[in-house]
Amino acid sequence: MLGAIGALLLYRPLINAQEIEQGASAQGASAQGASAQRAWQQTLNEARGENVYFYAWGGDPQVNRYLQWLADQVDNKYGVNLEHVKLAQTSDAVSRVLAEVSAGNMSEGQVDLLWINGLNFATMAENNLLEAKWVSLLPNFALTNPQQNPAMTMDFGVPTNGMEAPWGRAALTFYYDSAYHNGASSSPPSSLQELLHWSMQNPGRFTYSKPPDFLGLSFLKYALIILNQQQDPEIFAKLYKPPIAESERELLASLWVFLDQLHPYLWRQGRYFVSDGASIRRLVGDSELQLGFTFSASDIPGAVERFGLPPSIRSFAMKDGSLSNVHFVTIPVNAKHKAAAKVVANFLMSVEAQAKKQQPSEWGDRTVLDLSLLAPDQQLMFRSPNQHPSALPGSAKSPSLSEPHPQWNAVLTEAWKKRYGAKRW
Amino acid sequence: MVVSTSLFTRWVKLSPSILVTLLIVPVVAGILGVLLPAFGWLPALGEETFGLRGFEALWLTPGFVKMLVLSFSTSLISTFFAVVLSILILGNYFNSSLLGHIQKLLGPILVIPHAAAAIAIGFLIAPSGLIMRLFSPWLSGAAMPPDTLLPNDPYGLSIILGLTLKELPFILLMTIAAMQQKEIKHLIEGQYKVALSFGYYPFTGFCKAVLPLLYPFMRLPVYAILAYSSASIEIPLILGPNTPSTLAVAIMQWFNDVDLSLRIKASAGAIVQLLVTLCVLFTWWLLEQFVKKMSFSKLTNGRRKYADLILIVLTHCLTLIVLFAIALALLGLVLWSFAGYWSFPSAYPDQLVTLHWQSAFKQLPEAISDTVLVALAATGIALFLALFALEAEQQRQKALSSGASLMIYLPLLVPSIAFLFGIVWVKELIGVNAVFSMVVLGHLLFVMPYVFLSLATSYRKLDLRYAKVAASLGCSPWKIFYAVKLPQLVPPILFSAALGLAISFSQYLPTLLLSGGRMNTLTTEAVAIASGASRRISAVYVIMQLLLPAVGFILAWLIPKLLFRPRQ
Amino acid sequence: MDTTNNMLSIQNLHIYKGDALLLELDTTVLAGEILTIMGPSGSGKSTLLSWLSGMLEPVFSAAGKLELDGHDITQTPSHHRQIALLFQDPLLFNHLSVSGNIEFGMQHSKSSTRKRRVSEALDSVGLSGMETRAPKSLSGGQQARVALLRVLLNEPKVILLDEPFSKLDSELRQATRELVFEQIRQRGLTAIMVTHDQSDADAAAGKVINLSNTAGDKPC
Repeated sequence: MLGAIGALLLYRPLINAQEIEQGASAQGASAQGASAQRAWQQTLNEARGENVYFYAWGGDPQVNRYLQWLADQVDNKYGVNLEHVKLAQTSDAVSRVLAEVSAGNMSEGQVDLLWINGLNFATMAENNLLEAKWVSLLPNFALTNPQQNPAMTMDFGVPTNGMEAPWGRAALTFYYDSAYHNGASSSPPSSLQELLHWSMQNPGRFTYSKPPDFLGLSFLKYALIILNQQQDPEIFAKLYKPPIAESERELLASLWVFLDQLHPYLWRQGRYFVSDGASIRRLVGDSELQLGFTFSASDIPGAVERFGLPPSIRSFAMKDGSLSNVHFVTIPVNAKHKAAAKVVANFLMSVEAQAKKQQPSEWGDRTVLDLSLLAPDQQLMFRSPNQHPSALPGSAKSPSLSEPHPQWNAVLTEAWKKRYGAKRW
Repeated sequence: MVVSTSLFTRWVKLSPSILVTLLIVPVVAGILGVLLPAFGWLPALGEETFGLRGFEALWLTPGFVKMLVLSFSTSLISTFFAVVLSILILGNYFNSSLLGHIQKLLGPILVIPHAAAAIAIGFLIAPSGLIMRLFSPWLSGAAMPPDTLLPNDPYGLSIILGLTLKELPFILLMTIAAMQQKEIKHLIEGQYKVALSFGYYPFTGFCKAVLPLLYPFMRLPVYAILAYSSASIEIPLILGPNTPSTLAVAIMQWFNDVDLSLRIKASAGAIVQLLVTLCVLFTWWLLEQFVKKMSFSKLTNGRRKYADLILIVLTHCLTLIVLFAIALALLGLVLWSFAGYWSFPSAYPDQLVTLHWQSAFKQLPEAISDTVLVALAATGIALFLALFALEAEQQRQKALSSGASLMIYLPLLVPSIAFLFGIVWVKELIGVNAVFSMVVLGHLLFVMPYVFLSLATSYRKLDLRYAKVAASLGCSPWKIFYAVKLPQLVPPILFSAALGLAISFSQYLPTLLLSGGRMNTLTTEAVAIASGASRRISAVYVIMQLLLPAVGFILAWLIPKLLFRPRQ
Repeated sequence: MDTTNNMLSIQNLHIYKGDALLLELDTTVLAGEILTIMGPSGSGKSTLLSWLSGMLEPVFSAAGKLELDGHDITQTPSHHRQIALLFQDPLLFNHLSVSGNIEFGMQHSKSSTRKRRVSEALDSVGLSGMETRAPKSLSGGQQARVALLRVLLNEPKVILLDEPFSKLDSELRQATRELVFEQIRQRGLTAIMVTHDQSDADAAAGKVINLSNTAGDKPC
């Protein structure tokens, strides 16, 4: 049955894919549909029996388990052998591809598929390390409704140019221990300014991870956006363009004022910052911190289930906005098993895989599919049966804040390091 | 004199050269692989002009000098503490059975991987760690973990603590092993008794009469530790500060950075790291000379007592603290691996579950099989080469030159961060892709010295008269080797094998880099999990990291007992 | 030198190895006297010396009392007993020179005093000028003499000699033996010597106890 729906859908999105692809000439729709189908069938044939080495962050046991399930599925359906290569950080794989390409290895690369977004993607794209224009050829890409959802083809404001296939979404979510009492402030802050006041009354119970960690930068970008919302719209718009000296001065000043006020009340009085978001969650579990934040809201119920966080944890979204982004998978230009990698990438965007991924008991990562394109019974697959008490309430309404231009990351990191990082001597 | 040229003897003759080549070539190739980029040559990034910009960038890095000072001081201070503690323990427990007990207790600690030790110690000293939990809230008055700066303090105190606890067993056990060699044992025991009978208090007597003889045996382990700790990664990464970190950690982060232009700076950093290590070794040598000069006159001034009584008490306290800390750390690991939610300030988890072990066991079998296969291969090759090289020594009737001996320890003395990245670069250049073989070769570099060292002491103690008798009865060298010498060596061979396996199990950087992340061993998995947030699963992996080498040693102890039942 | 202070009294000593009785002894040694202990190997001669110096190995247990010039020193730690050891190996410290070795045994005093006494002592045994020599460069006989000087200049109350001459050839043996005994008598030290050579016992001209018989004095 899915096959029939799939075939129907195959017909519609292929037209969209064509329109997105640059330089494609317009021909008879059915003729294109048929040839694309043949091409895809060829890819499937090539892929059968191949190995795919999927380089992905390995620090979350839930994600690892989901990838095991994926491996079983693609083996059964397509005869592809998926291997999850666990990374401590994505840049490890970027270094690997660079080393291979620089040594002239253009067809025997070890990385077939890579979980990526943001600056890592921008770097690889700039250095021509990625296979180009393959995403629109994937049948399931159309399910994400890329024309209506520009987020599917933009990675932190940089066009993906068919080099990245969307996989999941994330938004900055906060969480606190509801069992923590401290007189007046037993309720958590719901805006940036409230966060500052809360920290003053609860010193040493909040921190963020230091740049260049992605999560820490996200907190800083959230603050940056909120603090500059009162500015002249023209100046504010510069956040979404590459930074220049002038815009830096205009936009960063208020951030430093805010941080200078906040740091003395942070954990370790701001003299030591953890290196990643996982450490923040660990510290909340240890009761050293009372307030944490994360990009995957599904982390939290999973952590409670695995006893990493107390059952009294509650998630919430800041009322003044949540930084959001999409994460992708990509294929390096020198990958050895491109056909199989494409087949896997396509399956990642399938209804079945996306629905399972969104279940909190599996991973809880939000889908990139446009549910309005799906049949009603398919849409039901995405609803989660029992809401975990610690999960983000479905009713949580928080404005979505888009990521600034990726080059702001480097600027923020450099400037932060200068102000708060290692001193000269 | 062996004159025949059978296949065996030809093999044996070649063995020392094969051995040395296998060890030197990768290290030298690796250093070249960072030397060239350090001076600006990295065609992959379009950098083809030699220059000093890597070093300039290094100098301009904020906190660069602090990094150097941190690396230098943590290594020197921790080694100093470890040596002093060893001397205190050896001297105060010299003739007592306590030394034997301590040897048995600390022996297993030797093979704990550094990452595992760092994680365990981190669990212990954190504000929400086991120590605080034991003393809260009744002693410390804290209902919430206090906001203190251990671990990750900017002065590197936590690093020093971690390194000292990890290095103390190594120095102690190596020295005890040296002390138990027959010739030395007889001599120092006699001299110690003479000193006592002259009225020297036990510890002073030890220091004046025995230590000067013993220290040369401590030297090689001490230098190895100095070299390692000045460039160590796992302990400073987990327990150290990060503004700035130590030099080695920073170099690793630059190499891995997405900003690929940092490669040149990282290579320059690797060269500077080599210099820092040399500095540390040189400073220690200066310290040795200084102590020698200062104490020489004191040796014969006839004073029989310094602060002996205080020192004995101090030694008792320190030994207890060390053993207690290690026991607590292990206990903490076990508790975490079974812990449900564990609220502060309970000293015991709120509930015990087996969930974490169950989740881990789903992922473990593959990692363990890879770990064991690589270890068996690397150790097998190492044993093979070591035995043949030692046999060559006996056939030539001339000990391995000190040059060759130094080459065997080269991978231990050169900071691995300096040459491993270079090896990867060379590997890419040549286009070698065989993951398993490369990883085995990488492990071989680090397993070889330990296997050789532990086999050498036993091999050289063989009573050669048996071999001579056999030869006179007409046995070929090969027959003598496998029928006369090897059977005598079964326990030492098994022990060296267990040691080699343990070393291979604990390797992190070589596996990660040389396999391109394709091969997951227990240690690489443990570090990957440690970068996630599940402290509990981390604990499970750390415990597995401890159990695996333990199994090896138990087998090494058991097999001879089963195979060679004592005759009635 | 008040020699009556060096009287050594072994009272009711029983040494056990596990549960088996190894030896029994009850005797007194006066100052300037040399008690010779003889017996086959395994009879416990060296074990006796270990007990006397307070270094009995854990595998043995002992009951009995030891008195030195009237004080009960059975439980005194080794370094307080003033009972010095001289083994058959000279056991000279290789990191010290000849004079360093001898100074090592001496009590705390001014450096110049020590050096003078060492030179005098070396002269008295025919080793003049050898202060700065390394012990390894000396012959066996020379090393034995240096070891002797080391013990003597320690000025102990009692000297225990564990087969001290067995490694020397017969000519050297006699000369060294005479030297040692002369020094002991001159200084009024109490000595107990373990040997399996009858000529040593004869030269010592003191009480001889043979450990192959159980207990009791045996007049020579």
